[in-house]
Order: sequence, then C-alpha cells, then structure tokens
Amino acid sequence: MRNIIAKKEYTTLLRDKRFKLMGGFISVLLLLALIGGFVAFQSLKKERMAAQVEARETWLNQGEKNPHSAAHFGSFAFRPKSELSFFDFGVDSYVGTSVYLEAHRQNDAKFSAAQDSSSLIRFGEMTVSFVLQLLVPLLIIFLCFNAIVKEKEDNTLKLMLSQGVSLKQIAWGKIWGYSKALAWIILPALFIAFGLMTLGTDGTFTVDTVLRFTLMTFIYCAYFFLFIAASVLVSAYAKTSRNSLLQLLGIWIVACIILPKATANVGASLFKAPSNYEFREAIKVDEENGIDGHDPSDVRFDELKKQTLAKYNVETVEELPVNFDAIRMQAGEQYSTTVYNKHFDKLEGIYKMQNSVSAYSAVINPFMGVRNLSMGLAGSDYKTALAFQKQAEQYRFQMVEMLNNNMRDNTKTGDWDTKAKESLYAELPDFKFDNPTISQVLTQNIVGVLALAFWITLLSILVNRTKNLRIA
Amino acid sequence: MLSTKNLSKTYGDKTALNKLNLNVEAGEIFALLGQNGAGKTTTINCFMGFIKPTEGYANIHGLSVEENALETKKHLAYIPETVMLYPNLTGVENLQFFSSLAGFNYSNEELGDFLEKSGLQTSAHQQRVDGYSKGMRQKVGIAIALAKKAKALLLDEPTSGLDPKAANEFSVILKELSADGTAILMATHDIFRAKEVAHRIGIMKEGNLVSVIDTQGISGTELEKLYLQTV
Repeated sequence: MRNIIAKKEYTTLLRDKRFKLMGGFISVLLLLALIGGFVAFQSLKKERMAAQVEARETWLNQGEKNPHSAAHFGSFAFRPKSELSFFDFGVDSYVGTSVYLEAHRQNDAKFSAAQDSSSLIRFGEMTVSFVLQLLVPLLIIFLCFNAIVKEKEDNTLKLMLSQGVSLKQIAWGKIWGYSKALAWIILPALFIAFGLMTLGTDGTFTVDTVLRFTLMTFIYCAYFFLFIAASVLVSAYAKTSRNSLLQLLGIWIVACIILPKATANVGASLFKAPSNYEFREAIKVDEENGIDGHDPSDVRFDELKKQTLAKYNVETVEELPVNFDAIRMQAGEQYSTTVYNKHFDKLEGIYKMQNSVSAYSAVINPFMGVRNLSMGLAGSDYKTALAFQKQAEQYRFQMVEMLNNNMRDNTKTGDWDTKAKESLYAELPDFKFDNPTISQVLTQNIVGVLALAFWITLLSILVNRTKNLRIA
Repeated sequence: MLSTKNLSKTYGDKTALNKLNLNVEAGEIFALLGQNGAGKTTTINCFMGFIKPTEGYANIHGLSVEENALETKKHLAYIPETVMLYPNLTGVENLQFFSSLAGFNYSNEELGDFLEKSGLQTSAHQQRVDGYSKGMRQKVGIAIALAKKAKALLLDEPTSGLDPKAANEFSVILKELSADGTAILMATHDIFRAKEVAHRIGIMKEGNLVSVIDTQGISGTELEKLYLQTV
C-alpha cells in the first residue's frame, strides 16, 4: 500500500515542473559547490603541502650553527587540509593555517584563508554543506508543503480514503515517494563527491575517509528525512496549503538561521573567553611567579642549580661536564610549556562551554547536530583547529628539547659558539598532523547523534499516529 | 446493506442530521432529495467515516463504520460531487492508482474497459487529466467506483457536470449494478433522474428525513409537487 502511494507520488513529482525547475537549480548549485569547493581544496592542499616541504627543506639546510640559534631560527607547522574538507569548509577558512615554531614562545596559528580572500567571504561561502544544510531543506519544503493538505483541498484524500487506505499509510507513502524523487538530486552529488574524494587523494584514501564519508551520508539522509517527515506532518494538520507553507518556512528560518546564530551568541556571552592579550599576560605572570604563585622564577633557578650541582657532585657551574645554560633553558621551556598548556586547556574548556550551548540546542534543533557532525567528520571544525594548535606546540617542544639536549651534552656552560653538525636537524621527525579520529568526533558530538536519533523516532511516531484530520 | 440507526450530527447548536433511520437493501437504489444543507452529504460522510456521528450509528454490511473504518470501506465505493484527480497522471494511471489502493491489480486492458464502460472516449484514456473536462473526470470517478466491484455505492450528486447523454448512460450503469445486487445510496437535486433510476426516494429537510416515497406508483410531476410542498 505504502509503495503504491510512493510510486504515484514519485511519478507525479517527476512530471511536476516545480520539481524539474527547482531540483535542476539545486543540482546545478550542488555541482558548482562541489567543483568550486574541490578546486579551492586542491589549491590550498597543494599550497600547504609545498609550504610544509619547503619549511622542512629550510630547516634541514639551515647550515651549521649553535643549537640554540637553530631553536631561534625555528620552523613552521602547516595545518594540512583534511580529505573531506572540500565537502564542508566549517570554520576552516577562519582559523589560522600555520604556526611559527621557535624557542621560548608558543605562537598562535596565523594566516587564515579568510585573511587572504576578498571581503566577499563575509557573505559566506558556497559550499556543498551550505547547499545540503540550508537549500535542500528549502527545496523539500517547497515540494512537500502541500503533500496532504492539497489532497484535502482537492478532495482526492476522500477518494483515497474511500478505497480503504489509512492516513498513516498515505503519510508514509508520501515520505517514501518524496525521498525517492529527492534521491535524483542527492545521489549524483554523492557520487561526484566520492569521485572527487578519490581524485583529491590520488586514489589513496583510507578506510577512515570512506567511513567518514559513509557516516556523513547517513547523517544527511537522516536530516532530509526529518524535513520530509515534518513537511508531510505539517501538511497533514494544516488548514490550507498556504498555512502549511508559512509554518514550514517559519520552522526553517528558526531552525537553520535564527537558532544557530542565537545559540552561538548566547554561548559567547555566557562564557567569556579572555582576549589574546589577557591570555598572554596570564601566562607571563604564571611563568614569573610560578603556576601556584609561590614559586617565582629566581627561586626555581636556584633550585635547579643546586640539584644539578649535586647530581654531578661539583661546586660551581663551570666545573659541570655539561652545559648548564642548556639545562636551564630546557627547564624554562618545560615550565613555560606546562603553564601554556594549563592556560590553553582552560581556554579550550571555555570554547567548549561556549559551543556546548549550540551543541545542546540540537535537542530542540537537530540542524545544529547535523552541522557540528558534518564539520567534525570533515575535519574542519574548531576542535580540529585547537587540536592542530596543540600538536604544533608538542612538536615545537620536541624540537627545542632536542636542540637543548644536544647543546647540554656537547658543550660546557657559557659556550654559545660551538656549532652542531647539520645532520642533527634530521633527528627531528617531520611534522604530521592527525585529525581527531571518527570516534573522537562522535564522542564530542554525542548530543547531536542522540538528538538526531530522538527526532527520527519522534517524527516516525507522529507519522504513525496521523489521524483525526478534519476531512469533511 | 446500508443502514443507519438514530444517526445524528450536531455542530454546536446546529443540527446537521437528526435521528436518521435508513435502510438500503442489496440491489436497491435509494435517492436522497433535498435542498443544500438538508443533510444529504452529511449522511454520506457518516457512511464514509469522514464524520463522527454525535449519536446513533451507520452500518455497512452489518458492520459499524466507526468501529471498522478500514473493513467497511472494502464493501463501499464512492463518487463525490466533483471528482478531482491527479492532473499529471493519465486517466488510466489515475484509475490504476485508486484501484490498486483498493487492492486490485488490473491489466491495462481491464482498466481501459472500465473507462470505456463509464463512457470516457478511448482517445482520452492515455491523456493527462489536466486537460480533462469536469464531465470526463466524473467518468473516471465512475470507473474507479466500478473497478472496486463494491457491494454498496455512495453517490454525492454524481451526475453534476455530465451532459444529458452521459447522465443517461450513467443511469443505465446504475440500473445494471442494482440488478447485480449493489445497494446504491445517492444524494441528488435532480428529481427526474431520481424518479427514473431510484426505487425509493427520501426527501430531507433540515437534517430530518421527512418522507419516503416509492417511485413505482408516482409520476414525475406528482413527485415534484410533493417535493416542493415538503421543502
């Protein structure tokens, strides 16, 4: 029974000019977004890969110099484009792409893609996720808003019911039929996206990427189902087609435009993040006075000196077989990293709280769940950006530690001139950024996943209970 | 086959139908006459289960409509006053859709036969319905009812929009169905058509069934006179 109705719905929809026109329009937009996104992705990816290779070359060929000079010379870490980021740009364009790695300083990631673009970027980017998250629902609304109310207005509903069909069967049939018609727009885009993904990774994509892609497909299918089911439901209870359309457009504006903006603003004002200046100041204060405020740097220095002298059983630093300056610098590095990480974790906690307002709003607005999951799986959300900052800091510490240890072991205190061999630089491995894993993304967005499941169940139950419509 | 017991429907303090007791036997054609708002369509809607009666009940084949909403529809075919169809499906496709909803799986030939019998010209069978006239749609509606092979037929002003020839052909179809044992309840304004096809005529006024007349012993003019006196 459901299939009969679905088939009729599908056939009439495919013959409908409205569907051909709007569906065609959305398909073209999707295609443009896919190609545009992919071209941008390819060029950024190549640029960053080339930059990373160049930075590595410069690092390796910086010539013989004192290890600490090398630490000041430093290097760069570039955030690679994740393989699916052409699908969903997320906040990718607005966060820094590279970090300058040097001794004594934890630098921020700088140079976002948005800085490089014209002011047009202020109007948002035409990405696949934009089309899928905002325009496809609009298409669904325009196609389905009169699904049942039109049959009521035209009295075909009476005729259908007189044939012994239940409203529940009609509603499910409609949902199924509309889904099949919509597949003509979504499936080709998915195939193209998969093709582009293959192309973008030169056919070397991993199981991980395929899994991300599959999950993303499921999430968007669930999202479209919600809009189709909601449209059919609203159209079942609405008095007129006009009312149905207005109500659905209202839902769209609130769910896709107003709530996301509002929850972001509420989050930012409830949980104040420190300015960059305050953040840096707090770190500076903690470094000077000690994390607990009772361990100032001169006390720490004396303690370290005492310990080192005791360890080598000598009276003065000059007698040490190792370079005490290097030991002191490494201890300082260690300390500042601990302080930095403490503040960075605090900052990350604040960001997390800010975003949790939007994240939890998924319970009433599944759009937020879809948006966050999509960004997360594409590796273009703010969490990925923070992970990059963290990993870059770890790498910086590794770099400086290696150089300090070399200086400590090969020179004596006060010797700032002895040069290290060039082969030393190769001891530092390449910088490799790991995106948050799928399970991390899913755990971070567990509210969104649960909210989606909740809404699917809720709407399914409501569709099952479609009855008591005023027909006559 | 079709029966009601004290069937009543009120909207607020307005009575649409007042204690209607009606019984249409298998093979009988019963016509309901009356002005607009007399309760004819309300009666039919109660049989269809589209309206929940305030009091009393409507039975089809001994089953209460309210309690057996889907089951009673199996015994029932319905032609509304204005048959609206899906404009971008053809006549055959519309018929196929509705009869498959009722659980029938007719071949294209059989579907064509039903349309033919309902008087729809063969050239229109494969045309999309958006080009159909009201009468042509009405004929598809008749074909949908025929294809259901139901024991009872409910008609709400079925001949409105049909030209005299088509209306006459329709009367012939109704008589055939009645001869085959179908119970037919029709609401109509057309006194002479009613006199011609129906076995009994009920005249309704303000929700009440005022009188029931056997068409055998009465002429058209007498009927019209009686009708005008009643309403």
